[in-house]
Amino acid sequence: MLLEVRDLHISYGDIQAVCGVGFHLEEGELVSIIGANGAGKTSILQSIMGIVSTKKGSVIFKGREISGLASHERARIGIRMVPERSRVFPRLTVYENLLAGAYGLRKKIDVEKRTEWLYSVFPVLKERSSQLGHTLSGGEQQQLAIARALISEPELLLVDEVSMGLMPKLVDEVFEVLRQLNKEQGLSILLVEQNVVASLAISTRGYVLETGTCAIQGDAAELADNPRVKEVYLGH
Amino acid sequence: MQLFLEQLLNGIAMGSIYALVTLGLALVYGVMRILHVAHAAVYTIGAYAGLYLFGATGSLAVAFLGSMAICAAVGVIIERFLYFPLLKYPPFVPLIGSIAVLLSIEEAARLVAGPYILTFPAKLPFPDVYVGGIQISSGLLAIYVITAAVLLVLWYITTRTELGLAMRAASQDAVIAGTMGINSHAIITITFVIGSATAAIAGILVGIYYNQVYPTMGTVPAYKTLALIVVGGLGSVPGAVIASLALGMAETLLIGYANIPLPRDALAFIAMIGVLMWRSEGLLGSSR
Repeated sequence: MLLEVRDLHISYGDIQAVCGVGFHLEEGELVSIIGANGAGKTSILQSIMGIVSTKKGSVIFKGREISGLASHERARIGIRMVPERSRVFPRLTVYENLLAGAYGLRKKIDVEKRTEWLYSVFPVLKERSSQLGHTLSGGEQQQLAIARALISEPELLLVDEVSMGLMPKLVDEVFEVLRQLNKEQGLSILLVEQNVVASLAISTRGYVLETGTCAIQGDAAELADNPRVKEVYLGH
Repeated sequence: MQLFLEQLLNGIAMGSIYALVTLGLALVYGVMRILHVAHAAVYTIGAYAGLYLFGATGSLAVAFLGSMAICAAVGVIIERFLYFPLLKYPPFVPLIGSIAVLLSIEEAARLVAGPYILTFPAKLPFPDVYVGGIQISSGLLAIYVITAAVLLVLWYITTRTELGLAMRAASQDAVIAGTMGINSHAIITITFVIGSATAAIAGILVGIYYNQVYPTMGTVPAYKTLALIVVGGLGSVPGAVIASLALGMAETLLIGYANIPLPRDALAFIAMIGVLMWRSEGLLGSSR
């Protein structure tokens, strides 16, 4: 098992955002966590990355308890995140954003070769390589955020609301890239999404989160057929 | 014309010293979003440490290196024990703490070294140079060369090294930098080391150039450099350097040469008000 989350509790002051969530992800899987706004999806992802602290529970990565590690330490053991709304470094160029993603890894990976591969996956980034991050469009920033996370050759990619603010055509393109990374390169991906149809279409399994707890779980195809999921998230 | 050029050279020297002090403040603001007023106290410590080390060893190299090490340590202590625990509070809280440290260090200097002006009888190993009939004294030349060297090293670190990339990334989004494997806290500490060591250089240069070291020598730079980082653009090192050089020249030429009846120290604030009205993000600051 690559990632296991047990009995996770997260609160912000008196507000309980996540209570007792547990799930797992096998190596090479693409797992979706779906749910409405405020269900606690982003909090879970951020707690796995070490950005928010957990009140209770454990996060186990490759058999190792990592709850006590800082965010940068988790990044160094192979976990990377594509944050909500991309959050590229606005005053670094596209190329420098990619180099920042490879921080501390220049002896371990061939950064230039990896950059060329990323440019072939996201050709627009090559065209924009010397432009500052904030001059890119929303879709281009999203692609840069994915590329920045991928340059380090992560073992686990956490993807937070990648479809937010993107036009439908771009959403399809970004999801296709994630599907290819998972199927063709075996990259393990934990996807947090409100776009239920698109995320379940490329996932192996899924978890439905409602008000901080895990309400339904199962194979992606089963979830897509689940009457409750259909009613609440698919509108039929 | 000769007087104008001489005043211009003095202005560049003055601006260079402002730049050495201000860039530490700009670096710290960039990574921590804190107005590090106590930086001026580190500059004072740098001058005293340099003076005592020079007195004890007779070596300017030991004075510079020792003072830079001492100031770097003081900077890290301020960051670890004052700012870091206060980061969870609104920005005015660490600012108040910083002012308290500035005043405490000034008073400590008064108690330890006495309330007198001490002389710094060292001569920097630079020759007097004549260009087109204008004399550039060894003191001025030393300030130009040392400032240029410091700026060149800083430029190289920030734009050509992985550490510099991490510093720029952490200054733009420390949380996301953390998810890239960048230890933002370590980057902040390194920034304090660099900024404080630079303040030590400025302290010694001022001490030698004016042959004066005294407890409140950081008071005027403390508020003037605040105005300069606003003029340059908060967190922008190039902006801070340009603003510093411009202020040094403006002070010398407008007040010293053109005899405009204004208090010299008011110019920084006039510039700050003007820039805030015209371009609130500063000369090279970003509104994002």
